[in-house]
Amino acid sequence: MSTRAKLMVAVVFLVLLGGGIAAYKTLRLGVPFWKGEQVHDWQIEARISFLATGKSLKARLALPAAAVEQKTESESGSLGYHYHIESDLGEYTAVWSAENREESQALYYRVRIPDSTSSGGEPLPATAPEPGNPGFSGSLAEAANAIVNRAKALTSDPDSLFVAIFDQIRNADTSQEFLLVKRHYEKEFKHNAMILMGIDLLEMANVPARIAYGVKLEEDGGSRPPVPLVEYCDGAYWKVRDPMNPGAVLDGHSFFVWHRGGGPLLDVTGGEGSRVVFTVAKERIPMASLADLRHSPLLVSTILGLPLSERAVFRYIVLIPLGAFVVVVLRNIIGIPTLGTFMPVLLALALLEIPLARGLIMFAVLIAAGLWFRFLLSRLNLLVVPRVAACVVIVTLLMMLMSVVSYRMGMSGGVQITLFPMIIIAWTIERMSLIWEEEGKHSALTQVGGSVVVAVLAYLFMKIGQIQYWAFYFPELLLVLLAGILLIGRYTGYRISELIRFKTFAHS
Amino acid sequence: MHEDSPLESGKWWHRWLLTPRELRARGVVGINMRNARYLLPNNPRKLYRLVDDKLQTKALAEAHGLSAPETYTVVRSPRDAARFESKLSAHPSFVIKPACGSGGKGVLVIDGRDDRGRYLKPSGAALTGDEVRHHLANILAGLFSLGGQRDNALVEYRVRPARVLTEISYQGAPDIRIVMLHGYPVMAMLRAATRESDGRANLHQGALGIGIDLATGLTIRAVHHGKPLFKHPDVDVDLIGIRMPGWGKILDIAVTCQEMTGLGYLGADIMIDETLGPLMIEVNARPGLAIQMANGVGLLRRLEPVVNQHALHPGVGHAEKIAFSQKHFAA
Repeated sequence: MSTRAKLMVAVVFLVLLGGGIAAYKTLRLGVPFWKGEQVHDWQIEARISFLATGKSLKARLALPAAAVEQKTESESGSLGYHYHIESDLGEYTAVWSAENREESQALYYRVRIPDSTSSGGEPLPATAPEPGNPGFSGSLAEAANAIVNRAKALTSDPDSLFVAIFDQIRNADTSQEFLLVKRHYEKEFKHNAMILMGIDLLEMANVPARIAYGVKLEEDGGSRPPVPLVEYCDGAYWKVRDPMNPGAVLDGHSFFVWHRGGGPLLDVTGGEGSRVVFTVAKERIPMASLADLRHSPLLVSTILGLPLSERAVFRYIVLIPLGAFVVVVLRNIIGIPTLGTFMPVLLALALLEIPLARGLIMFAVLIAAGLWFRFLLSRLNLLVVPRVAACVVIVTLLMMLMSVVSYRMGMSGGVQITLFPMIIIAWTIERMSLIWEEEGKHSALTQVGGSVVVAVLAYLFMKIGQIQYWAFYFPELLLVLLAGILLIGRYTGYRISELIRFKTFAHS
Repeated sequence: MHEDSPLESGKWWHRWLLTPRELRARGVVGINMRNARYLLPNNPRKLYRLVDDKLQTKALAEAHGLSAPETYTVVRSPRDAARFESKLSAHPSFVIKPACGSGGKGVLVIDGRDDRGRYLKPSGAALTGDEVRHHLANILAGLFSLGGQRDNALVEYRVRPARVLTEISYQGAPDIRIVMLHGYPVMAMLRAATRESDGRANLHQGALGIGIDLATGLTIRAVHHGKPLFKHPDVDVDLIGIRMPGWGKILDIAVTCQEMTGLGYLGADIMIDETLGPLMIEVNARPGLAIQMANGVGLLRRLEPVVNQHALHPGVGHAEKIAFSQKHFAA
């Protein structure tokens, strides 16, 4: 068989395989092929971790009532643990128990909720609870009373009192009394000091209040600890609000109240250092087909069978082949010169994390400063690897400096730049300076400019929502992409840049 | 091949570009075609090291009785570098090269010594023995080699180019590049330095590419940055119609380069010494495409007949290959 025939067989096979699996998923399992505006659900995964101390173990995680009562899909991951759900007057708790465990343990509880206006923090009828008393004495009691009275004087009902107290806390009031109380709480409590302080102040004003926990419905957040909320009683109902945004009712599209009612969220006996983190992901696949997908023996299940926290990693990984494809097209068909073959892909990935303009400015500053430093280094006649390593150190320091400066100047997000590929930038500087010396600055700037153009185009391609959707939900389409790359690998026609390069042949 | 209408020139877009159809009609080879059709099938990966390391190339050349600049010494270790001066006391001029360098990187030319024992570069600058030793250490550390891996330094005879060549070059030593397929010379050009290229013979740094007629060894056309010209931009001298001395021997060296390396598609770099005649400098396994512009002819016009000839008569000898090329590829 000739090379050409082999290639065509491979291409046809890949297209049929990738396209076939995608067609099966969309036609038989009902996974929507177009991203569209269809309703999605939210997957929330709670991950409990702790260090077992060897005795009998019990972990209890409070569950959202809505998840248990509405029979939404939920599951728990716990190898070798006995697991059941305990129900107590409308409050639910997941209980895991085991004997003789050692080392670090991880337990999962995953629930799927529909995207709706209901956050789970709606008012619940209350049966006249008694407000507690923080039991202050002396100057502390006087100070706290002064704050409460001042807030009470301005307000008429528990709702506005709640807003007044938490506005003071949020705006870091500078009055004497406030600072005194604040210092006391910061000393007493390691976590959520300000929220506990607000709760106590509310109780002193005869508004019963307690802590609740919620999860922000954002896909890009990674694993995060629960968000502390405040639940208070306005006389007839228990209401849940976000103390960071006291004036607003919780929006079910961006917030989900995981636990209310005042009990502990997580309780582990027989273990140390327990904590719970939440990971959130959008789920666009109908619930009925998801079970089929997960248990399908084919490649079909792919990423969807993984825990959410691991799935989140793939949101970016599946984009890398797309970036590589863009590079192949731009280099082999258009003919844009770049510094290093896949450096633009890494730059494009970094740009996905930072706003485009800021990323490009940062890249330019890093390259310029690094080049200047590299020319200083070249006077020392260092060997190659130490020289590049020196560049890495300088680039890292420069990035820290830029973070600090941008933070001081009030630009948030200066801290996100950790993903910037520093090693790649150091190599880029090294190669650029070599080309600068050997072929002149024109050549060096052309190649860096080409790399940036390719990176931005790759970024724009990877940014398209539909493309991201396909890469994540139909990773088998990457086989079709592979077929395309193989075809380009045998493309023997002219590059666009060569049409210009060889224009002198017009006269021959 | 000449029947196509796109060959007629003077279309409005010719100021900026030629369409793929027009380039194809002129037989121009692009990078993708060179790689996929000529490089990959004809140059097995394992042969590359024969030409990427000049020590191996020179050893091969010696075994095949090919003229090449004499190697004075090879510096393989810091110890060799420390006592290089004793090895070179008999040679007033020499060239230091990284064995695995490319594109003229790290080449140091020494023309002689002054009365204080310092080494003189062609520009007149003087280097102390320590400075030369530092350069050798840089080469050993891999400063000039591909990928920065450790390298050896080669110290060899400094070629004194023939007068006809120095006359058409602004400083630097012009060299002749001959592209070969299956041992048939397909195209040749002379690369001459300009003030812009700073003594180097690299075309995209502004050196001149001058096409040479394979049959006669006469220069036929010259380009600078892809544009044709007739006079050297820095030296007032005609570039066309100059005869390369010892052309027959030059073609002979080129064909031997193919026989000794086994590479199907290669570029042989040759310099003409005033007293020693043509010398093989190096072999390039990935020769560029600018040679087409220097000759004003697409490579495909030459490569396709060779592919046919090679398929019909695979076992043709050395002299017949040269005769075939000179007969069919005359300008």
